[in-house]
Amino acid sequence: MLIINHISKIYNAGSDDEVRALQDVSVEVKKGEFLVVVGTNGSGKSTLLNLILGTILPTTGSVSIDGKIISHLPEYRRSPWVSMVFQNPANGTAPDLSIVENFRLAALRSGKKGITIGNNTKFRQLVKEKVTALGMGLENKIDQSIGSLSGGQRQALTLLMGVMDKTSLLLMDEPTAALDPKSAKVVMELAEQINREMGITIILITHSMKDALQYGHRLIMFDAGKIVKDLNKDAKQSLTITELLEWFA
Amino acid sequence: MIQFYLTALQMALCLAPMAMGIFITMKVFNIPDITTDGSYTLGAAITAVMLSGNMPVAVTLPACMLAGALAGTLTGVIHTKLKIDALLSGILVMTALYSINLMILGRSNIPLINTASIFIKSDWLGNELNGQLLTALIFVGVILALLIYLLRTDFGIAMRASGNNPVMTKALGVNNDSIRIIGLAVSNSLTGLSGFLVAQYQGFTDINMGIGIVITGLGSVLVADAIKQWFHVKKIGRQIMLVVIGCAVFQAVLAFTLSIGIDPNLLKLITATFVLLIVALPRLTAFAKHK
Repeated sequence: MLIINHISKIYNAGSDDEVRALQDVSVEVKKGEFLVVVGTNGSGKSTLLNLILGTILPTTGSVSIDGKIISHLPEYRRSPWVSMVFQNPANGTAPDLSIVENFRLAALRSGKKGITIGNNTKFRQLVKEKVTALGMGLENKIDQSIGSLSGGQRQALTLLMGVMDKTSLLLMDEPTAALDPKSAKVVMELAEQINREMGITIILITHSMKDALQYGHRLIMFDAGKIVKDLNKDAKQSLTITELLEWFA
Repeated sequence: MIQFYLTALQMALCLAPMAMGIFITMKVFNIPDITTDGSYTLGAAITAVMLSGNMPVAVTLPACMLAGALAGTLTGVIHTKLKIDALLSGILVMTALYSINLMILGRSNIPLINTASIFIKSDWLGNELNGQLLTALIFVGVILALLIYLLRTDFGIAMRASGNNPVMTKALGVNNDSIRIIGLAVSNSLTGLSGFLVAQYQGFTDINMGIGIVITGLGSVLVADAIKQWFHVKKIGRQIMLVVIGCAVFQAVLAFTLSIGIDPNLLKLITATFVLLIVALPRLTAFAKHK
């Protein structure tokens, strides 16, 4: 479904402060897979995510989704395939807009933002249903500005917003790093549910070793711009937290 | 006395589209746009030339709006495509427009006497002013309704989100550059519309009539912002309505200062001081509480 083909990203090529963020990385992610990515800071995992999302372009190599090469497209044109949950809950929502308005825009991620009013009774009902399922008591606050909510609530909503419209791939860059343990658990379980029930492929970057073991079907580790470990479901299940921590030693 | 304030209200209604335009750039998109000074005079200049050339009002109106939209588009393209600071882009277009406006006018001043006008020159509501007021009121009402509708549509939500969180909108498939250019075009077409209204209301177009007009619009938006915070107004439609009210308050304050006999030459100084006061008021009160 997602094919990363011999991708390299080099910053300041040829100069003294040349940085090889990714070096000839190839990886294939299957449809419906929940891939967890770990690695030290600067190992290249966020670079990979940004290359898929389109905030940066590769030096060499290509990214393709469902057979279509997307690595040359600007970010806003990749939205039909890729949906993103940012590390900072503030990045994924427009704070001054209401919950329902944020959801409306998310529902149009791949489509046209036309000059008709789509934020109608039917749509509001849909948002209410989705939000009720979160169990955060937000269903009666859908006209409240999203910026007035807590980080955990905003991140859970961002995740729901990410799958409001059809999507092939959900990218999550340390989505729980800024959250308290309880909110983090809600967000991670929601991600798992989305993957299981909707069959949406997920790539999760995390620094939480516990999450890396608990969630997902496959675990890869980045080091110095390369993939150094790639564990399938069985291998991942038998992995212990001590073994995982040793990778970082 | 009442007549005096009604005149101020009439001026406020004529300037309201411009203030709504500034609301779009400043509050919706977070762009400080001062193309306004130029696009306002542009609208007035086109109005003067077309109406004195016996063109119908129905053609003059879209011409003014289109010209304003073009000026805004230009600022938008300079800002987004050439990556030049929004303030500087606006200054550049505004400066260039001064020459363009002079070229359109052909001289520095054109009077509009006995030409076609949107304001009905009859005493159909007791007197001439009432008729003008009603015309302006209907006009501003229609613009207001259209704008509220636009901002509530899917496109409008994208506009507002783009100004609020461009990182998010980019990931949601919004071309932030294009939508900013459209926003600047809409804003300046409304400014051109104000030029159209004011030229007919005051009965002349002057090359210097736009100097500092942006501060009037800015002041109206800031007054609206203050009211918005006092009453916790959240709905976007009501916020735009407040801009029209802010515009009226602003003109009333100016009328009041004139009525107490202050030299009209000091009007710009008073305008600037008034705007400064509105901006500084929240901080001054916070400072006072702190002490």
